[in-house]
Amino acid sequence: MLKMTHLSKVYRTEVVETYALRDFNIDVKEGEFVAVTGPSGSGKTTFLTIAGLLETFTGGTYHLDNLDVSNLDDNARSKIRNEKIGFIFQAFNLIPDLNVFDNVEVPLRYRGMKAPERKERIMGALERVGLASRAKHYPAELSGGQQQRVAIARALAGSPRLLLADEPTGNLDTQMARGVMELLEEIHRDGATIVMVTHDPELAARAQRNVHVIDGQVVDLAEDPRFHTAYAAAAGQVRG
Amino acid sequence: MHIQPILVALRRHKAGTVLIALQIALTLAIVCNALFIIHERVAHISEPSGVDEADLFVIANQWGAQYSTQETVERIQQDIATLRQLPSVQEASAANSYPMRGVGWDNFITMQPDQRAPTSDAAYFTGDENFLRTLGVKLIAGRDFRPEEVQNMGLRQNVATPVAIITKAMADKLFPKGEALGKTFYAMTSTPITVIGIVDVLHRGDVSTWSAPYAGESMVVPIRLAVPSGLFYIVRAKSGQLAAAMREAPKALYAENRMRIIDPKDGLLSFAQVRHRAFERDRGMAILMGIICVVLLAITAAGIVGLTSFWVGQRRRQIGVRRALGATHRDILNYFMTENLLISLGGLAIGVLLAFGLNLWLVTRFTLAMLPLTYVLGGVVILLLLGQGAVFAPALRASRVPPIEATRPA
Ligand SMILES: Nc1ncnc2c1ncn2[C@@H]1O[C@H](COP(=O)(O)OP(=O)(O)OP(=O)(O)O)[C@@H](O)[C@H]1O
Ligand SMILES: [Mg+2]
Repeated sequence: MLKMTHLSKVYRTEVVETYALRDFNIDVKEGEFVAVTGPSGSGKTTFLTIAGLLETFTGGTYHLDNLDVSNLDDNARSKIRNEKIGFIFQAFNLIPDLNVFDNVEVPLRYRGMKAPERKERIMGALERVGLASRAKHYPAELSGGQQQRVAIARALAGSPRLLLADEPTGNLDTQMARGVMELLEEIHRDGATIVMVTHDPELAARAQRNVHVIDGQVVDLAEDPRFHTAYAAAAGQVRG
Repeated sequence: MHIQPILVALRRHKAGTVLIALQIALTLAIVCNALFIIHERVAHISEPSGVDEADLFVIANQWGAQYSTQETVERIQQDIATLRQLPSVQEASAANSYPMRGVGWDNFITMQPDQRAPTSDAAYFTGDENFLRTLGVKLIAGRDFRPEEVQNMGLRQNVATPVAIITKAMADKLFPKGEALGKTFYAMTSTPITVIGIVDVLHRGDVSTWSAPYAGESMVVPIRLAVPSGLFYIVRAKSGQLAAAMREAPKALYAENRMRIIDPKDGLLSFAQVRHRAFERDRGMAILMGIICVVLLAITAAGIVGLTSFWVGQRRRQIGVRRALGATHRDILNYFMTENLLISLGGLAIGVLLAFGLNLWLVTRFTLAMLPLTYVLGGVVILLLLGQGAVFAPALRASRVPPIEATRPA
């Protein structure tokens, strides 16, 4: 589904070159739920934005759904983002000028979908996240957890193959975070591929697979004793 | 395009939207009225004089001594003879005024001697048998004056002539059923005046708006005016010799008799200068209106650029989010173009009403004509194009906001 090999990303400023990612290798299979963890500044967000075609990369290869995406033009990238990828951001990123219904509608309109189908999908997605009754509310009138659920509905409405979430619970309290996590698990059970960046070991432990990033590279968690204990503890907590 | 969500979003930005819409409305109202005024003034400026303007010039002669009427008549005839003898001069004639002089004589015209409300207020020219020929005015019916018909008229004298030549416009006003030749009318005296000739066009001496209802209504009576000042020599130079004639004529006149004043600035004017001076105010008004249009349009364009730039800056993140959700460059560009189109249409709807309102006020307050619909439609098109043009640069900038903007910390 998502395969990066020897991928690198360099940010150049006048004075320095920062390798946000270097020799980055990952292979996410169709239907997998992968949690990406790692220290701050390690390159998790960079990985996710490249995976989501929000940004280009400097070297290596990236195949999304068996398609080499390195040489696509901007319109083609927009189309893939619209049809194949659902984004969930830490800051929710709802459009404040639009109500819940219209927010969920945004990607569907860019797809050129007809109004009746849009409506059906929007209401379906909102029901799924339990916010059908709030369709006419504006983002400012909702709690953080509710806003993130709307954002998830917006990501789901277009039935994307791949869901990318960057610390989706980072701005939520534990209670709300749990609700969002349960929702993601449910979506995963229905067949979506999910890649989620998180700082929360408890949430990470609930994913099928954990990928750890340090200094722009994927490291094998099992071989790194420093994180092994934390991982085991978190995993144990969840199982217990 | 997706109009509904744009309208919905605009409701959350009422202040800016209303401000720009009103600015567009006011601009439309003022610009289409200003354009109409420009049109009216330009039409006025380009009115036909009826005279053959090339090679024509006028001399304002003032006598510097006291002469009797008979002496004045003789001196004037001597002057005309002197002018005619110049090799560069074709023809010359003396008159009380000439078309487009800026001011002129006029006379109330009635169809009956005891009629209360006059039928016309016609421009009144005094001239001899050479007057029309010198001006190059086209006689379309009847005949010109005969030398024996021409009477002398001195200072403070009143001469009632039994015949006159009138313009077609005046003939149509006085005798709407047609055939004015041979018919009579009255000009403030009990003497009936018979129409002996009709000329196509002979513009009034004045060019002011008060005479607009009597536009083109002029009459010529066979009178040789003998006054110390306020007398004009109308001179036609030979083809292409205007400059030479204008140089030689005053010299010849002074050589013949020094007791006269020909003002070096205003006393000698080519007809081109006459026309230029006559419509100075109209030209000034047209230019002023033009400047007002340009300034207003520039301010409105700047307002649109400013507001859109502000909105683009304010919405960078949501533009990034839209891009992340699949919007193409073109989608974002269209969004802002459509947004402007909707605001403009709203403003223009109000502006059309304002335009007619402003026109109504101008019509009652000043003597402006009713604003034709074409001017309003023209204004609407201009402002729509202006809006789309003004919004294009900021909209293009918006379309270049990268999708990564969605992930930047707020
Ligand atoms: N636009 C940019 N220009 C320059 N450097 C950048 C840019 N974006 C990220 N970086 C650098 O790339 C590296 C990786 O950043 P990234 O945001 O991917 O880290 P992260 O793992 O998501 O961190 P966090 O857990 O704090 O969100 C950091 O060193 C960061 O400073
Ligand atoms: Mg990050």
